[in-house]
Amino acid sequence: MPLFGKSQKGPADVVKALKEAVNSLEKGDKKAEKAQEDVSKNLVLIKNMLYGTSDAEPQADIIVAQLAQELYNSNLLLLLIQNLNRIDFEGKKDVAQVFNNILRRQIGTRSPTVEYICTKSEILFTLMTGYEHQEIALNCGTMLRECARYEALAKIMLYSDDFYNFFRYVEVSTFDIASDAFSTFKELLTRHKLLCADFLEMNYDKVFTHYQRLLNSENYVTRRQSLKLLGELLLDRHNFTVMTRYISNPDNLKLMMNMLKERSRNIQFEAFHVFKVFVANPNKPKPILDILLRNQEKLVEFLVRFHTDRAEDEQFNDEKAYLIRQIRELKPIPGH
Amino acid sequence: MDNNMCNITKSFESEEADGTDQEKEISNVIFSGKDELELGESAENSELWINQENSVDFDDDLENINITNFFHRVDSDQIIYQKKKRKLKLVGKYVMGDLLGEGSYGKVKEMLDSEMLCRRAVKILKQKKLRRIPNGEQNVQREIKLLRKLKHKNVINLVDELYNHDKQKMYLIMEFCVGSLQGLLDSTPDKKFPHHQAHGYFLQLIDGLEYLHSMRVIHKDIKPGNLLLTLEGDLKITDLGVAETIDLFAKDDTCYIGQGSPAFQPPEIANGLESFPGFKVDIWSSGVTLYNITTGFYPFEGDNIYRLFESIGKGDYSIPDEIGEPLRNLLTGMLEKEPQNRFNLQQIRQHSWFTRRPSISSAHVPFPPLKGDTWHNMTVLPYLIDHYYDDPCDSANEAQYFTERELNESERRNVESDNGNAQSNQSSKRSSGWKKPISCISVRSLPGCKQS
Repeated sequence: MPLFGKSQKGPADVVKALKEAVNSLEKGDKKAEKAQEDVSKNLVLIKNMLYGTSDAEPQADIIVAQLAQELYNSNLLLLLIQNLNRIDFEGKKDVAQVFNNILRRQIGTRSPTVEYICTKSEILFTLMTGYEHQEIALNCGTMLRECARYEALAKIMLYSDDFYNFFRYVEVSTFDIASDAFSTFKELLTRHKLLCADFLEMNYDKVFTHYQRLLNSENYVTRRQSLKLLGELLLDRHNFTVMTRYISNPDNLKLMMNMLKERSRNIQFEAFHVFKVFVANPNKPKPILDILLRNQEKLVEFLVRFHTDRAEDEQFNDEKAYLIRQIRELKPIPGH
Repeated sequence: MDNNMCNITKSFESEEADGTDQEKEISNVIFSGKDELELGESAENSELWINQENSVDFDDDLENINITNFFHRVDSDQIIYQKKKRKLKLVGKYVMGDLLGEGSYGKVKEMLDSEMLCRRAVKILKQKKLRRIPNGEQNVQREIKLLRKLKHKNVINLVDELYNHDKQKMYLIMEFCVGSLQGLLDSTPDKKFPHHQAHGYFLQLIDGLEYLHSMRVIHKDIKPGNLLLTLEGDLKITDLGVAETIDLFAKDDTCYIGQGSPAFQPPEIANGLESFPGFKVDIWSSGVTLYNITTGFYPFEGDNIYRLFESIGKGDYSIPDEIGEPLRNLLTGMLEKEPQNRFNLQQIRQHSWFTRRPSISSAHVPFPPLKGDTWHNMTVLPYLIDHYYDDPCDSANEAQYFTERELNESERRNVESDNGNAQSNQSSKRSSGWKKPISCISVRSLPGCKQS
């Protein structure tokens, strides 16, 4: 017990105090102002236990373990996230820092917080809906991306219905929120290769129907980003099955051909990288072949004049020349 | 592209243009008046202590000339060196710095991007040299094409390419790295890293490898010598000279050619199989790499390539007792003889040694110093300082002469100071007697000679 100053509060006390303060903040009663203060104060205490301060080292492992256990038992993480919009600006950032630190905690090969969140998936879904509230969207974003690093948590998010809300979030009018949502969306779809490949295969129709909407979005940034991500997804070896399926659908080919003619040169260029896969496919299904044959001359003519100023880009020119040759040499399947 | 190449230096000796960077030219009284050629070569030898790049030339010379004919005994303080101004050289927008290392294809030097002020490394390839290597030019072209497509934190990034057709040189500008994992290993007494450090590198290797495989690239030559490190400790997979890209529509990853470094080749290649699954080749060599950086040994050894391949082909090896679980299990999984049974990247990722951060058991191995510089200061800076701040008249007349003894003295101090730095804890007493001499750094550029 220190001789001077207040006695040091243990993790249990701090967590209890914080929980009471958040509850009181939630009710919004007269003591709200006092509650706000208590929340901030206790959050700083917890943060200092985990990260230390300029004068003090982080607490010993045993204290941190106690703290984590208290956080799980009290269900405080969820409570904090649910009331994130009521907490003041600095407090929101502290919540995210505490959350991310606790999440990364390891005992041997186990990640106890990840296991805990697996049993409390509401935490993830609450974080995801955070994108609907401007004042907390970015805080939730940092926590979500930290969660997405863990395959078990990414899986829960991908396979939830709430995942499809991302198709809406990436298009919201506030640019910083839309971009933050897009980076989380991309992380979920690309981070864990096998998980993502399985997910895309199993939910092919649903995902790509939604994806089509992004490609047709009114918003230029959404269109361009989603087209670029589509190219990356299809060309990733892990998604081979998805790619073969995607390039067998004539509607997808039509969409790409239209995007080749978009006003934006950047979109044209990204579309080229998806379009080339359709043409390079050695086993083109008949509907695809038919479309290409019907447009054979126009396509050749178009490609010859396509982005001629990219003389420096050797690879692009090689690919373009290859496509032109391929299209020129296309022949209908005999017997039809 | 020729316009990009410009030389600030007014006069360039043919030697210098050849890339034999004469940071300093030294000559001495013994040779004055004798054949110019020998003079140059031997002078290079006497500067070996700083500039090791010419050692090969010197060896050649030894065979040709009977050197004793030229030698007269001269006291070291009679030999006088003169300091020469460093000449600033620009290639495109890049300012040339000092030599970082040498590969089979050419030199690697430091550079500074004069627009972005970003440190870079440049691989200088000479067509003359490339032609001597079988498939040299072809491989380089293929590698460049491949590198242009790749962009990942753990794969070396090709920033820019410049060509000088007159000199038949190609400059590949890359991210700046301090050295390879092999160099770092060589700097340790028992050629291995503490587990926590090896773990950090292995995680990054797997990240980079996963990216390469997702881009359908099989590296085929994963080994510590091909894993570079940046100053921040990021690992970069490099040297895609023998890498193979599998076709976008290939049903599987079957390969037919294996041409990496023998000690890191899997049994299927050692046994000369006609075809084998490609991705598993990289898993095997990553396994050998992990084995190597955690134990200091190789799982398979042999006096010559036949013995080595015989031993690999059998697939019998042992893991030192000091390696406990779960690392032992991971190594066994990656060094599984049958490619089908060998771990894949997913299994490695989920392995308990992978997911668990090993506790810090012993001190982190630091980067070995480059030519005595522990901090890897930017070597471009002295050139810039000389170019912009040095008054040429000043430096020509002031005390710019050194005797052999002074040179040796400063070299000795340099070595001492390195040792001192290495054990900086205890060395404070030892090193307090003298200051790190400034002269030994400025001595770097020692040109033409004067007789004393």
